[in-house]
Amino acid sequence: MAERRRASPPRTADRLGRMLVIVPYLVRHPGSSLGDVAALFDVKPEQLRRDLDLLFMSGLPPYGPGDLIDVEVDEDDHIWITMADHFSRPLRLSRSEALALTLRSAELLATPGLPEAPALAGALRKLREALGPETAGSDDAIATAEAGRPAEHLEHLRRAAREHERITIEYFAGSTGAWSTRDVEPEEVFSAMGNWYVAAWDAGADDERLFRADRIRTVTRTGFRFEPRGLEGAGRALFTPTGDEVPVRLRLAPDARWVAEYYVVEDPAELDGGWLEVTLPTARMEWVAALLLRLGDAAEVIAPIEAREAVAELARRTLAHYR
Amino acid sequence: MTGEERMEPLERLLNLVGLLLETSTPLTFEQIRDTLDAYRADKVDSAKRMFERDKDQLREFGIPLRLVDTDVWGTEQGYIIPKDEYYLPEVAFTPEELGALLVAAQSGGENTRAEQAARKLLYGADGGVLAGLAGGPLASGSDARSALVLECADAAQRRRRVGFGYRTSQGEHGRRTVDAFAMVFRGGHWYLVGRDDDRDDVRAFRLSRFTGDVEDLGAGAAPPDGFRAADHVQAGAWTAAGEDHALISFSPAVAWWAVGSFAGAREDHAEPDGWVVVDVPMADVTSLASLVLQFGPDAVVRSPDLLRDEIVRRLEAVGG
Repeated sequence: MAERRRASPPRTADRLGRMLVIVPYLVRHPGSSLGDVAALFDVKPEQLRRDLDLLFMSGLPPYGPGDLIDVEVDEDDHIWITMADHFSRPLRLSRSEALALTLRSAELLATPGLPEAPALAGALRKLREALGPETAGSDDAIATAEAGRPAEHLEHLRRAAREHERITIEYFAGSTGAWSTRDVEPEEVFSAMGNWYVAAWDAGADDERLFRADRIRTVTRTGFRFEPRGLEGAGRALFTPTGDEVPVRLRLAPDARWVAEYYVVEDPAELDGGWLEVTLPTARMEWVAALLLRLGDAAEVIAPIEAREAVAELARRTLAHYR
Repeated sequence: MTGEERMEPLERLLNLVGLLLETSTPLTFEQIRDTLDAYRADKVDSAKRMFERDKDQLREFGIPLRLVDTDVWGTEQGYIIPKDEYYLPEVAFTPEELGALLVAAQSGGENTRAEQAARKLLYGADGGVLAGLAGGPLASGSDARSALVLECADAAQRRRRVGFGYRTSQGEHGRRTVDAFAMVFRGGHWYLVGRDDDRDDVRAFRLSRFTGDVEDLGAGAAPPDGFRAADHVQAGAWTAAGEDHALISFSPAVAWWAVGSFAGAREDHAEPDGWVVVDVPMADVTSLASLVLQFGPDAVVRSPDLLRDEIVRRLEAVGG
């Protein structure tokens, strides 16, 4: 640990920033445990101890023994600070900090079914009132509109991800329309495109999988703890090509351009009249056939011929229900 | 340099902040040097340079370190950190509220500015903040660059007029001039809502469709009375619910999923063979037909005939 740190000593600015928020917390919460505080402020316990060691060298003029901040870490690692009244409240939030926090909160609030939503909305209201419009901006400038469907089991999934517990899920795969029961090890729950997703290790497939949380019908605990593999979560591509995909070349009318924004497409080419030509890598022809049925006149298949045949075949099977 | 060897820079900076916060009158550099050992050790020139660097670092950090006249005659200037500008106002949050703020702040992965903001608020915790985090972490993301989101949000909050290149959902490209009113997040996308100069009307612009940089064009207009930003961000056609209703049967395999996929849909009854008949609000026949067709042979429209006929027409066009 110490060897690794030697290469790049913690920047003074980082340490200062940390002290200016941690000291007020310690002044207000005497006897806090070193481990809790380190976890809360996302700093290594040994680094926090080094920072605190420096703290009692500072104080106020004339810097006699009675003017310096007194820090005591007792044998149970509880922290006691006195003579730090000038740091009993943290530095104000800057405009950009308040904005960044508000934007992040809005992104979470817009995803349906967030259990913390009422608390988060309340916290933002208090924050805006306290900071005033010059820091927090106009109170109606950042808004959210809920869309999509809530995931019933969001809290169970989050708990499993936090506690590293393997769970058994019943899952509806959108691309095949099939149900399956799987043992999965969820590592991160995240929202993207207005939906909740779970990045997990699928024990049966022995591979990484991405599940849409709202397509999980049941969650059953197993009690089995797993070792996280550090799977990629938020920000990852929602579709990971395996290399087995068939490239389907499509011509999209203006009304169907959303396809290029919603799915991963390649080689886009703008055409006259707002039409767009793209290649859609497709793992299952039935899936692209269903999409093309939905798009109707707004999309044309350029290649391959199998895609056109799949649409015709799906249309015939569907039509049979109406005759 | 010898001063820095003798004393950790962090200690010097903490002392400087404390001194300038607690002083009742602005202090000149000479007075600061007389008080703080760290600046006394070196020759005046190098001490002054060190002080300048420290000052810049503190300001960069957002600390309101001001240079003001020391008396009403303005003969001399000194440094001070005004308490009312430095200290965060008292805000009492519940543990649940702080927990929610922390979850939100950490949801962006790399966005440390939001985390820094949330941590500043923890001091006011009424104990038990860690308990408030019981829900577990969450992550979120949007399809727009975070720098662009911040820039547009800042413009909306300060009611600026902005110019930007934009490609519409229909593929037309052009330059827009907009009085920024608000930002709306919906379905994973950020939208800037404002008055479009050319169209003289309020429009929503999806940030992922912006092309090039955003140009600040000065102060913008205020939104009209009764403005509600979210009203201007349209739901996709597939979420539009209407007055009319359709009855649609879904196969056992897709029924559970299908009921949740249509806004306002509810299960009417289940057939003995396991197919489920669902009542779906219908705003527009064409768009509902598109959504139903996506289910292929797993969805069959029972009524109305208008929707049934549209489906059959479209199926015959491709399947013949």
